[in-house]
Amino acid sequence: MTTATLPAATKPPRWNFPKTASAVGAVILAVIWLVPLLWALDTSLKPEPETTRAPITWLPESPTTDAYRSVIDQGDLIRWFFNSTIVSVLVTTLTLIVSVLAAYGFSRTKFPGRKVLFGLIIAGILVPPQVLIVPLFQEMTGLGLVDTYWGMVLPQVVAPVMVFVLKKFFDGISRDYEDAARVDGASRWRIVWSVMVPMSRPILVAVGIFTFIGAWNNFLWPFIVTTDPSMMTIPVGLANVQGSYGLRYAQIMASAVLGGLPLLIVYALFQRHVVRGVGDAGIKG
Amino acid sequence: MAVETPPRVTAGTPSTTAKPETGQPWKERWGGLFFVAPFLLLFVLFMLWPIVSGLWNSFFNTSLAGVKQEFLGLQNWRDLFGDPAVWSSLKNTLVFTAMSTPPLVVIALVMALLANRKGLLGWLLRFSYFAPFVLPATVVTLIWVWIYQPGFGLVNGLLTAGGFTEIDWLNTENRAMLAVVITTVWWTVGFNFLLYLAALQGIPAQVYEAAAIDGANGRQQLFRITLPLLSRTTGLIVVLQLVASLKIFDQIYLMTTGGPNHATRPIIMYIYETGFTSYRIGYASAISYLFFAIIVIVAVAQFKLFSGRGEAE
Amino acid sequence: MPPDPALFRPGRRAVLGGLLGTLALTGCGALRSQPKVREWNLFGGGDGARLLQIHQQYVAEHPDVLFEAHTLAWGPPFYTKLAMSAAGGRAPEVATLHLSRLKGFSPTTMLDPIPVDLLADAGVTESDFLPTSWNRAVVDGKLYAVPLDTHPFVLYYNTEICQKAGLLGADGKIKTVKGVDAFLDMLKAVKDVTGKFGASVETTNPWRLWWTLYGQLEGKFFDETGTRLVLDDAKALEALTLMAKLAADGLTPRSSNYSALVAQFTNGDAGLSFNGEWEVTTYQTAKMPFSMAPFPVVYDVPKYAGDAHTFVLPHQSNRNKDDTKATVEYIAWMLKHSAEWAAGGHVPAYQPVAKSDEYLKLKPQAEYRSVAPDVLFDPDAWFSGSGAQLQNEAAAAFSGVFSGQATPKDALAQFKAATQKLLDTPSPV
Repeated sequence: MTTATLPAATKPPRWNFPKTASAVGAVILAVIWLVPLLWALDTSLKPEPETTRAPITWLPESPTTDAYRSVIDQGDLIRWFFNSTIVSVLVTTLTLIVSVLAAYGFSRTKFPGRKVLFGLIIAGILVPPQVLIVPLFQEMTGLGLVDTYWGMVLPQVVAPVMVFVLKKFFDGISRDYEDAARVDGASRWRIVWSVMVPMSRPILVAVGIFTFIGAWNNFLWPFIVTTDPSMMTIPVGLANVQGSYGLRYAQIMASAVLGGLPLLIVYALFQRHVVRGVGDAGIKG
Repeated sequence: MAVETPPRVTAGTPSTTAKPETGQPWKERWGGLFFVAPFLLLFVLFMLWPIVSGLWNSFFNTSLAGVKQEFLGLQNWRDLFGDPAVWSSLKNTLVFTAMSTPPLVVIALVMALLANRKGLLGWLLRFSYFAPFVLPATVVTLIWVWIYQPGFGLVNGLLTAGGFTEIDWLNTENRAMLAVVITTVWWTVGFNFLLYLAALQGIPAQVYEAAAIDGANGRQQLFRITLPLLSRTTGLIVVLQLVASLKIFDQIYLMTTGGPNHATRPIIMYIYETGFTSYRIGYASAISYLFFAIIVIVAVAQFKLFSGRGEAE
Repeated sequence: MPPDPALFRPGRRAVLGGLLGTLALTGCGALRSQPKVREWNLFGGGDGARLLQIHQQYVAEHPDVLFEAHTLAWGPPFYTKLAMSAAGGRAPEVATLHLSRLKGFSPTTMLDPIPVDLLADAGVTESDFLPTSWNRAVVDGKLYAVPLDTHPFVLYYNTEICQKAGLLGADGKIKTVKGVDAFLDMLKAVKDVTGKFGASVETTNPWRLWWTLYGQLEGKFFDETGTRLVLDDAKALEALTLMAKLAADGLTPRSSNYSALVAQFTNGDAGLSFNGEWEVTTYQTAKMPFSMAPFPVVYDVPKYAGDAHTFVLPHQSNRNKDDTKATVEYIAWMLKHSAEWAAGGHVPAYQPVAKSDEYLKLKPQAEYRSVAPDVLFDPDAWFSGSGAQLQNEAAAAFSGVFSGQATPKDALAQFKAATQKLLDTPSPV
């Protein structure tokens, strides 16, 4: 494996110093990465006039939750939170269902044109959704789906990469289980849900989490297809709608903190799944 | 894009040889299509159709205002090549990609090497490095615009405290892109970090044990074992990152709206402005296609390169 | 072996059913008998705070109307969203629109005409407006916009700072300055007091300042046909050179965006502020000592960049009669209450209010409202107007003059090239 040719005498491991150093370096890097978040939190707890003071004050001299109260009182944030939840849950659920079915179809069944279709869908991986915004918006106006949940959800459900990943995974599952189920009289439809899905749970959880994060954070498409502030998701609403006037840095930071909190909590709770999910599937959201 | 997925369950029979099933011949022959149909329907509606209609529109002067639609032939395409805004926004896109990709790969690697440890510290490190990635673009940019704010922002506060003159980062032509890149690295490096971390954790401990017995020190282990074993992951990350960076829109739209003096406007934003702000759907479709072609070329080239290397291993 | 699927099935189905149920409830607005008025505006400054108060009063007086108002980010984001919503068919019932944007917005397809009969029923007719503002709102013989106000570019001053700088007269008002030298002296005197800047300016979007100065030089923009650029290079350069000097001498910041402009005037970094008159509420709320005056006549003639806000009905594919009636009544109500709107700074367009004692008594509005007839609208073209492309191109080119990254000459050349390109682009409307 290695070509190191040092004498084989077992030296006592001398890496204490580098180990400590790397721990210190790691912590410093972590602190740098956390500072922007903490600064946002810090600002959000200041009274407005204190936010524009120069030189800057590090900790709020008179901490207050006024900014949070006004942001919540304006009401939009709660509405957007609701919209984000609906859209993300729908996108995640539908993506998983539709992709599992398609992956099963391509992995386990035969029908004329199957290979061509699969090739077409794989080619779809190359299509960046960003280049479709203009014709897709035109299509949405034609279908009357602008400013609707379905307008936001349906295009996001088309994830060829998901079909690809799941098909590869299904390809690796032994057929013995299906055969056993079929002997018991199970239909193919039933096999999908009672054999394939349970056996792929880890990967489904992983891609599900990433689909959810991706849908929750998706900016461009909801930004294009929603114009009505009461239909917007959190990222779009925060960017487009102004709920307060005059000096409002503390309020902006309060809304940023509130807008970021739900997924930070989800991530803190499911970190293990997320980290493993990347290893398992390696999907870019 | 997908990584090789290690199958959890070892394969029994090869998948493509479907066994003959009992049942009606029609159902036998076409039944599989039923499983594929829902995805296929959505795929046709929301991917194929816009691809086709976008191409169609690019030959017309279609307007968002719906006032007229006349056939222009190749006029939009000719205009495109003579439009300096197309080329400058394309250049900005490439500059962003070139500036953001190296740090997004290198810092991710360093983070993975540092955070590959167990226990509470490991958990905290993984949390801090990846946390920004789960934030929406808007939250990220609200925070960073505030940090870059002249007069009372954090960065300039530190600069002035250190005796430097402050910089209006987002409104200075040769600083704005750098500011966006810094924000992007902070925001998205966590994803690459996790890919590296997964790869690192996939290296069997025996390899290091053997190396230690051979007397390799930490540095030798890093350069002779770890990094070479990560080269495949690095290739993957570079591929994913290049394509992701080329699609830049969110952060720039939200932080600088392409300014100052269009110095940060990426191509997607020019498409957005042309199609929706200026109503020129037809022309915007043509520009979309130019960009589409570039993405496909880059992706195919990389895919070839990458899969070639994959086979060699 | 696979786990028992029955365990999971009902749960999944219940979740889905619940979701669809929620969707049906929230997505469907047909189950209502109340008329609905959704209003979008772009008032992100102190005028937005003022509008909020007025709307609270409107809601209190109209419990029968489902009313919802939203402020969207000013400029291109607002106009892009409004256009896309009109194209999408689910536009709000009413929105604000700059009069300068009306023609470029493609009123015949993107807006619905104002039902003049309903407006008259609500007590508002053509005779309530100055002919100039009414006529600008008519396209192809139909009324597409109802004028709400006019807003000139003005001078804000911090009375305490200006007192120290010796700029106030015996009456406590700022002494009128005329000419470039007096203008610069005034700024220098203020800078000496603040120790930072003389005036706060939006350097990232300096169109209004430049258009004011260029207008005061009596510069022309388009020829009579509106198709040829006839910019007077010498005059344009004169204005740009003055702007460059302001920044180079530290009289204004080299770089500041809109929120910084407000902050610098509020926290006393600048004793003067060059801006539209819509931040009255912000500075009153901050309880700072300030007043306002017409922007100085730096050059030959009194001209002040400005625009007018109007109400429009964005195009809806299924316009509801009751909603439209309630919407027109809302517009009329807003006009009749535009004295409160004017308290935020704007000059009302509705003449019964403009001539009312209630308005005439307002301070500091009385100090600058006389300039309304000298308001200089943006050049007339589909790509021009508040927050439109021409202003954006000017911002792109001219902000470099403040920051020092572009010479006035280069900036002008860039702006002219960009304008020419816009002229050469076939109009999409």
